[in-house]
Amino acid sequence: MIKKKKLPEATIPTSSMADIAFLLLIFFLVATVIDVDSGIGMTLPEFIEDIETVEVPKDRMAAILINETGDVLLDGQPISLFQITATLKPRIQSKIELPKNKKLIVSLKTDRRTVYNAYIQALDQVKEAYFEVRDEYANSKYGQKFNDLDETSQNEVKEAVPIIISIAEPEKIK
Amino acid sequence: MKFEKKRASTKQEIPTASMPDIIFMLLLFFMVTTTLREVEVFVNYSLPEAKAIEKIENRRLISYIWVGQDSRIQINDSLVKMEEIQSIMYTKRQALPNVIVSLRIDKNTDMGYVTDIQQELRKAYCLRINYSANVKI
Repeated sequence: MIKKKKLPEATIPTSSMADIAFLLLIFFLVATVIDVDSGIGMTLPEFIEDIETVEVPKDRMAAILINETGDVLLDGQPISLFQITATLKPRIQSKIELPKNKKLIVSLKTDRRTVYNAYIQALDQVKEAYFEVRDEYANSKYGQKFNDLDETSQNEVKEAVPIIISIAEPEKIK
Repeated sequence: MKFEKKRASTKQEIPTASMPDIIFMLLLFFMVTTTLREVEVFVNYSLPEAKAIEKIENRRLISYIWVGQDSRIQINDSLVKMEEIQSIMYTKRQALPNVIVSLRIDKNTDMGYVTDIQQELRKAYCLRINYSANVKI
């Protein structure tokens, strides 16, 4: 009878596996860019050659003007940049119950020499005002913040508090 | 008197057998989340800061326009002139009808320049834009 030779156990050396995995891990850690693109979203109006002008009643408009030194004028009143949110909020709120064609329009106008940063700061303030009104409205109606609502009620809030911002073309310097 | 050290009778080794598995899990996570940098940015810019920021959920729809401190414009991999924006963006829009244009503009740029770009975008029918901004803390 032939005796079978006992073979040594066949194993793959796995001790270095962790090292290899570590190397790969470090590569991906370094190569990863986790920057979620964030910013202020806007929709531009369509480009039309001959623009019709539509008269808008004065109380529907909130005209913000920013000049080249960064001073802000809201409906003819000079205010500081950081007051925009507080000033706009009651005006947006007072128009929640009104139909869609009577809601507030915020018009943002700059000078050609205005710094982009000032424009973004003002736009940020306006958006902030709208978001706060939406949150408060959602809270009073559903008892939740706007972001926690489901889609249908979110749309309902959006319907009640639509963000209407008009970007006027900057004036040429005389 | 002789002090005897107290020592637990259990083994003192940390089991490392499952370490590769843990590392692989991490590795897989990073592999899945990684988006390798596709373009090299030639212009120097620092974004403005803002609070009321929204995230763009769909990365694939985004197309970038960079504007640097020296008012150079970059789209894709190359620096472009103001007049070229319209045709470039129009072809982009044809390939991707609901493209979102992310404007990465330096914060000290003049508004006039920004508006000129916006006018070009309007002519190219790229109406959804996003002013890229960093989160203000």
